Amino acid sequence: MDPDRIALFDLADQRLAWASKRETVLAQNLANADTPGWRARDVKPFDASLAEASLIPAMTDSRHMAGTSVTDLSLQTSTGEHAPDGNAVSVDAELVKVAQTDLAHAVTSDLYKAYLGMFRTAIGR
Amino acid sequence: MDTTTALDVSARGMEAQTTRLRVIAENLANQDTTGSSPNADPYRRKTVEFANEVDRASGVPMVAVKRVAEDQSALPLKYDPSHPAANADGYVRTPNVNAFVELMDMKEAQRSYSANLTMMQTTRSTAFRTLEMLK
Repeated sequence: MDPDRIALFDLADQRLAWASKRETVLAQNLANADTPGWRARDVKPFDASLAEASLIPAMTDSRHMAGTSVTDLSLQTSTGEHAPDGNAVSVDAELVKVAQTDLAHAVTSDLYKAYLGMFRTAIGR
Repeated sequence: MDTTTALDVSARGMEAQTTRLRVIAENLANQDTTGSSPNADPYRRKTVEFANEVDRASGVPMVAVKRVAEDQSALPLKYDPSHPAANADGYVRTPNVNAFVELMDMKEAQRSYSANLTMMQTTRSTAFRTLEMLK
């Protein structure tokens, strides 16, 4: 059984990739909290990008084309109000997002470990 | 890897804020520094300008201090005829440093520094959790 074919592992994989991408983007926003003209950026919410995701077609022949990437990690720029120097970063709002992303990462990695534990039990290790 | 990039971004943010704090310290330390002859300029307040810079190694935008410029606002005059830097009318040009402005700036820099530090701690715990998954 190929672990990549198991829906939960695949989903956890995407969720973790999304969380670390978001952390990088949030780190950029916080580092640029005083840079003139910097607008806060964010990745698309995970559920939204998952809902839009195209299904990966099954490859039953080696000549078939590979499917496209499932989750969309493109960046969105905030269009909210900004300071006179053009900076639009709210440190508090960014830190809330950091906490949420951290929690999402913790939940996903715990689920992943728990699921992996079931496999361990099944194979008797 | 995204996690190390995030650590890098936060580190560069902290570095920029440290430079800002250093300049604020210079301004506060020199708030009474005048010239020593009638035509010499006193200390001028320095300002820090941040800019966004794409890191060549990772292709990720990071913050950097673009330049440290001098505040070109007017220098206040103080009447002190016995001062060595006094002009013919007895006025001395004093630095355009306002201690209150500097202190507010200092608070802001400190807050931004802490925000970057929090981000770094979170990134670190994320990285550790990812490593834990190997066990």
